[in-house]
Amino acid sequence: MPGKRSPVRLIIALSVAAALAVFLLYTSIAGGGTPSLRPSQLRGHDGRVSLAGKVVGRTSGDAHAAGLRFTLRDVNGIATVPVVYKGSVPDLFRSGRDVVVDGKLTGGVFVAVPNTLVTKCPSKYTPKS
Amino acid sequence: MPDLGRAALVTSLLLLVYSFTVGSWAAWRGRRRLAESAQNALLGSFAATLVAAAVLLAALARHDFSFRYVADHTSRELPLGYTLTAFWGGQEGSLLLWLLVLCGYSCAAVLTARRAGREILAWVVPVLGLVGTFFALLLVFVASPFATQAAAADGAGLNPSLQNPYMAVHPPMLYLGYVGLTVPFAFAMGALLAGRTDERWIVATRRWTLAAWAFLGVGQLLGAHWAYVEIGWGGYYAWDPVENAALMPWLAATAFLHSVMIQEKRGMLKVWNVLLVALAFGLSLFGTFLTRSGIIQSIHSFTQSSIGPWFLGFICFITAGTLTLIFWRLPLLRAKTRLESLVSREATFLYNNLLLVALALTILWGVVYPLLSQLVTGQAATVSKPYYNFFLHAFGLPLLLLMGIGPLVAWRRASLRALGRTFLWPLATAVAAGIALLALGAGSSRVGVIAYTFSIFVLASILLEFLRGTAARKALGDSGWLGSFSSLIARNRRRYGGYVVHAAVVLLAIGVAGSSAYQTVRETRLHRGDSMTVAGNRLVFRGYETSMASNHRSIRGLVDVYRGNNYLGRLKPGKNQYFAEDQVSNEVAIRHDLLTGGDLFLIADQVNADGSIDLKALQKPLVNLIWLAGIVFIGGSLIALWPDAREERRLAARYAGATASL
Repeated sequence: MPGKRSPVRLIIALSVAAALAVFLLYTSIAGGGTPSLRPSQLRGHDGRVSLAGKVVGRTSGDAHAAGLRFTLRDVNGIATVPVVYKGSVPDLFRSGRDVVVDGKLTGGVFVAVPNTLVTKCPSKYTPKS
Repeated sequence: MPDLGRAALVTSLLLLVYSFTVGSWAAWRGRRRLAESAQNALLGSFAATLVAAAVLLAALARHDFSFRYVADHTSRELPLGYTLTAFWGGQEGSLLLWLLVLCGYSCAAVLTARRAGREILAWVVPVLGLVGTFFALLLVFVASPFATQAAAADGAGLNPSLQNPYMAVHPPMLYLGYVGLTVPFAFAMGALLAGRTDERWIVATRRWTLAAWAFLGVGQLLGAHWAYVEIGWGGYYAWDPVENAALMPWLAATAFLHSVMIQEKRGMLKVWNVLLVALAFGLSLFGTFLTRSGIIQSIHSFTQSSIGPWFLGFICFITAGTLTLIFWRLPLLRAKTRLESLVSREATFLYNNLLLVALALTILWGVVYPLLSQLVTGQAATVSKPYYNFFLHAFGLPLLLLMGIGPLVAWRRASLRALGRTFLWPLATAVAAGIALLALGAGSSRVGVIAYTFSIFVLASILLEFLRGTAARKALGDSGWLGSFSSLIARNRRRYGGYVVHAAVVLLAIGVAGSSAYQTVRETRLHRGDSMTVAGNRLVFRGYETSMASNHRSIRGLVDVYRGNNYLGRLKPGKNQYFAEDQVSNEVAIRHDLLTGGDLFLIADQVNADGSIDLKALQKPLVNLIWLAGIVFIGGSLIALWPDAREERRLAARYAGATASL
């Protein structure tokens, strides 16, 4: 359609440009996503990460006082890391469950961001016999 | 019995393959009788799938643990209701429900949408057959609900979080929505294949699209309500991938519902509409894939199963097929008219579309971000709430504003003077309300004030539309205001039903803004007799009470609520300890204030051995408007869906030629 002005294309082009601008603005302000790691990958990351693992061993402490202490292991591996966490503890949290928690590694201990602990639904429900 | 189920599924598969292959041949060569035969095969596949579903339902009801599915998802103690809803508690049953709903929709659509014309219909049958074939293949060869085993004495039981009344309605509603989007998709493809790219396929499937979209919307709100009252973290939506999976197709379908009006009225946006309907359908497949594959970390990922690659393959196939078809038919998809002005109804609909699609795509980007970053950098990264909230504000608020502007702008070209007249009152109301809100201290959240002000603008403009319309009908001689009002709606259900849905979205926006931007959260450890204050409510902890039930022990904190010196009542947040499942569940306590629409929401975060409680108290203003919005949404959708004899006559006259040739 030579010679004719097409406002549709103009709008689409402008909108795409606007969307891109918004996107760039966002990524420059907030940065990319949070890296999602397993305990074995923690070494060398000193920023905030999202840690996924299986709760193993005993848990101790008080999540509403000095903090709940537990150990996370790779879901399919052997590397572990001690975690200290404050805030709400999901109903499903317990030894043997897969959880995701945000935080950062400080002196060998993963210090969690309060209220970020999430348990994954057990993939297949099997009751205690 | 399992043999009967298996045989029924194989029959269904064969019939679907037949309707796909023979149907395509018939449509291509224009064989009318063969096309009818393919259509009958589609009807037959529904009957066969019904038999399969009945077999599974009967096995569930009889506790027949020789069915692996029954043994894996139910147990003898499970109440009958949950035993039956376990039908869709697992993957195989869910897929069977997909196929059943798909075949049901296919039959109903093919039988009722004759208006689309014979040429299109002849191609719709094989497209529906193809989609059905995919699901039947999965059910027969990959994930059979009729796998057998040596009968166990008892089953494994149902995940306790699925033992909930919402389980009976929330998943089926979502499925009715997801699967329902297949119908407009099939008609769009049928129109492309037949080379009939006018608006007829849209008119023929309008109600099907609307119904699927309404089911999807209601299903999501039910899920949100389930999360709010049962899961108990004080929220209703968490941007979890599986929640997003339902939101994305809904957004795409919303865009589609709007843009088809432009094609109907002005013959524009043909390519866009086909793309949108394919996007909506693709996202609904993607949603099923996400829920079922466990590929992305989600608290909902119940299964980590083998059907992921199949789904991914099918999605790629559908995408490639759609794009090829569009490219092939591009010469037929030229618009008859063009956009005349950037200030017109068409233009506002276009903005609305771009925003909705942008929102859907940024959510999609967030959902697949872990996969993409894994591919690119070798290290998975996730985006979280701030990402989604940012785009919800960036795209959602302009959308809200457009909802007030769009319906009032004239088609083709609007003059600025007319615009001024139309918007004077809504604008004045909104500005006044915004200033009043700021004076009342709502300025603590800028986004909140903007959302409220826009909402009031939209409500005012909708109200004005109803007033103007009613007055016009009265002037035309309808008796009384009420009579004029009801005849106004009856004469244009689609338009006024749409306004009611808009009002529902505004209520939703107000509820979401109020309960998120202005919520108050307090967490304190209380000993007996201690008190805390949240948003003017004084909460006094009075100790615990415990009780035993057959399958759990419950412990409740006793919290007396005062406002000033007024005693408002006692709330009992606590926990249940389930013995058999060895699981604790949080039981929140909510006090609804119907006058203000807010909730006082109490969570017993931790029950301590020394008799103290860690209490989390949330004051959530206006949250009940969200649930009210659901009811208004259903009302508006029903108005728009209701059969309309006048419209039928008009369309019958318009497509007289096509109907006569059937």
